Amino acid sequence: MSLPTGDARILDRGYRRYDGPRAGTAHAVRSVIAHTLRRILGLRRPARAKVLPVMAIAFAYIPAIVFVGIVALSGRFGARAQADLIVPPYGEYYGFIISAIVLFVTFVAPEALCPDRRSRSLSLYLSSPLTRMTYLLGKVLAVAIVVAFVTVGPPLLLLFGRMMQSAGPDGFLAFLAVLGRMLASGTMLAALYTAVSMGVASLTDRRAVAAAATLLLLIGSSIVTGTIVYGLNGPSWVFGSHLTAAPLLLVSRIYGESSGDPQVTTLALAAGALFWTALGSAVCVLRYRSLQVTR
Amino acid sequence: MAPVVRAQAVSKRWGATAALQGASFEIQPGITGLLGSNGAGKTTLLGLLLGMHRPDEGQVEVLGRDPWTQGADLRARVGYAPEHEALPEDVRAYDIVRHLTEVHGLPSREAQTRASDALYEVGLGEERFRPVGTMSTGQRQRVKLAVAIAHDPELVLLDEPTNGLDPMQRDSMLTLVRKIGHELGLNVILCSHLLEEVERVSDAVVILDGGRVVRSGPLTELRRSDANELMVEVDGGEPEVARLVAALVSAGVTARADGALVAALMSGPTVFDLVRDALDEGRFGLRRLEQRTSSLEEVFLSADAG
Repeated sequence: MSLPTGDARILDRGYRRYDGPRAGTAHAVRSVIAHTLRRILGLRRPARAKVLPVMAIAFAYIPAIVFVGIVALSGRFGARAQADLIVPPYGEYYGFIISAIVLFVTFVAPEALCPDRRSRSLSLYLSSPLTRMTYLLGKVLAVAIVVAFVTVGPPLLLLFGRMMQSAGPDGFLAFLAVLGRMLASGTMLAALYTAVSMGVASLTDRRAVAAAATLLLLIGSSIVTGTIVYGLNGPSWVFGSHLTAAPLLLVSRIYGESSGDPQVTTLALAAGALFWTALGSAVCVLRYRSLQVTR
Repeated sequence: MAPVVRAQAVSKRWGATAALQGASFEIQPGITGLLGSNGAGKTTLLGLLLGMHRPDEGQVEVLGRDPWTQGADLRARVGYAPEHEALPEDVRAYDIVRHLTEVHGLPSREAQTRASDALYEVGLGEERFRPVGTMSTGQRQRVKLAVAIAHDPELVLLDEPTNGLDPMQRDSMLTLVRKIGHELGLNVILCSHLLEEVERVSDAVVILDGGRVVRSGPLTELRRSDANELMVEVDGGEPEVARLVAALVSAGVTARADGALVAALMSGPTVFDLVRDALDEGRFGLRRLEQRTSSLEEVFLSADAG
């Protein structure tokens, strides 16, 4: 029989009182962001929940990886001039990954918003220090971070990859200029697509319906604006509300590149992006302000 | 001792429906049953206590705070388990309890240990890493209970915690509620439409009917206040009961036989003396003398009739 030693102790798993400090709303919002990020990326969830985010992220990053590889190989074989013909300018990179961005935004916001309403766990959040608006803030930031991961991350990878191969911007100021444009473009796209997809996702508690509706809105805006501007010879500023082509055109303008229809002014493109961002945000906020959680 | 909840002439309407009409009551520390039929205004009252709704009229104070203006600070100290399903099915029980504990203001490391402890406390120690969707109704109710207590609240609001449970699970849930109130020392408001449930675990009760508070106070007082008879048990069975009734009637007390007991109407402060004298003069063997207590059902029915 073993004898008790001086180190022996009884492990009490019982309920204990908590006398420590309680963090405020900012801590609660951070927790919502972290929990939502895990949910969107399928972490601690079955394997099938990881398929879509992994696919979308891969599609967004693969072109950048390939282009960096081309730059690296061309440097080794003295074919940098040919590589420059293949690798697109930074502002045109989004043309390669717009499908991945669209795929990503169609499921990210529904995944962040819909389950809490469908499972009615929103009532548990609202019985905490969070209010409707601080809860929504956490969700918006989580979605924006994830969307920015595919709108800011890949061009940054391309930039740093090129710099590693001495094929980046010439000088520190040029580097800062490219970096600033990259962050402005990526942030603009992230804000736009976050607002639009959150606005749609706030209207239904079914993820599939929200994803389909977001996709429909993205495609529908292109059909409607294209028909008005080019089919009916309508005013060119209407093209600014095209939800996929107009933001990409705006990105090109941010980079100072002269692609796309020159009749569509930068002001129209910026106004279109601002309109959709404001509309999506307003729909989401109004919906959550009027949502009946408990009676 | 400061009351946990104080409500003064609180009214709340939902469109044309008056959910609460001038409700006034105080809830003291301990376990309090919020009793009323469906539609009596219980859930609306819980919403007001949590600061989710603003009262149309009147004032509410919970833990010394105004829920509407100091909601965030108050809700950090209150646990809530809603009546309906409220847990995401594809998330592990431990993850959701930990997350909501963090949301209530506890640091991450503390939230991790407390989530496990709370799940152990409600009997889900071995099941805590299972997704909620794979759990039975009883287990899900326990997870909601763990969510409500994990952040060590001062007050726990439980809305119909036995909804959908079979008799065994109900029994076990009520034992847990009693444990939370009496062993863990948390103040509990148990919302229920089941009298037997409230009577079994509560120290006090607030009875709602049609949005009005018809009775409130400690159960022992309510049971006594509702009964105005003195119950006397004597040796000797039926003949002695009949002899005592006759003795009391001749002494001017309204009395009757109630099975093996004698029930004397407490019509004034001298009834105790008259009963004592009748027992002494008749040489009765006294077994028991106590004020009649009503069941909660009788209290509820008399309140309803009033």
